[in-house]
Amino acid sequence: MGGPACVFYGAAEFSRNTDLALLASSENFSRLNKTLSDLDAHVIAVPPFEPRYLRKGHAVHFRCQHAEARGMRVDVMTKMRGVDSFPKLWSRRTTVSVHDSTIELMSLPDLVQAKKTQRDKDWPMVRRLVEVNYFANRENPTPEQLHFWLLELRTPELLIELVLERGGLPPNLVRKRPLLALAQASDESLLSDALLEEEKRERAADRQYWIPLKKELENLGHARVPQLNR
Amino acid sequence: MISPEELVGEEWAAWYRLSPVERWRESERLWQIYFHLGGSLDTQPDTQSPFFDPREPSARPADGRSGMRVLRRSRV
Repeated sequence: MGGPACVFYGAAEFSRNTDLALLASSENFSRLNKTLSDLDAHVIAVPPFEPRYLRKGHAVHFRCQHAEARGMRVDVMTKMRGVDSFPKLWSRRTTVSVHDSTIELMSLPDLVQAKKTQRDKDWPMVRRLVEVNYFANRENPTPEQLHFWLLELRTPELLIELVLERGGLPPNLVRKRPLLALAQASDESLLSDALLEEEKRERAADRQYWIPLKKELENLGHARVPQLNR
Repeated sequence: MISPEELVGEEWAAWYRLSPVERWRESERLWQIYFHLGGSLDTQPDTQSPFFDPREPSARPADGRSGMRVLRRSRV
């Protein structure tokens, strides 16, 4: 759902890890275990591979030792901040056929939500992901695409173009994203500032979300050290 | 209407104009070049990630050397 999905949707990312979003069911855990065993993948950090940690929002990290994937990191998650539950993600997924294999990618709107993190590198990616979709579809957009762009475009020039082109804004969207009023007023400078503020709020919310989870990881890490030293 | 070139320059605009399948193929081609040059799948530490753990061991090549080495460099 991470790097390969970004390539597919147009915001290139040369990512060397594979992120997997998984439905937290015992059947799925055994299927994943079998696949990880085929890849000779082992947990490389805390937390351990237990459903309870995934359900809390942690990611479990593996590194593959199989000759054809040596060193590749696999991160498994079942829950992400600001992202819908797995059944909803699954119902909106994109299915790709590559070399006779089927790959299930997170939908573009869901990927954009997942990328709204505290990390610097994710924000240019979010911007590009929406730009590419806008340029590819702006001549003949669906109502869903218009809704997506109005809520997620992070490029002031394009937001202004979109609002002027559509000749107005649905009031419910302005309530949801007040900075759209600045796009309607064609105020590029204030709109840029407001987009930056929006990004800062998301990054702060992500840091806040991770505080208890990081604390738990630290405790798990300290508990693990004596075992490693034995 | 604003063109991709105006916004992101020629290089990115060319990438934007590819279809999803073309971008996937192009990425596969880059991977082949990357491996040909000795690149590894071992990820770089991401210190901004909430998953970052400084104690986490990194994968090392079997011969203990990096796949890509600097053969010549300036004094700068």
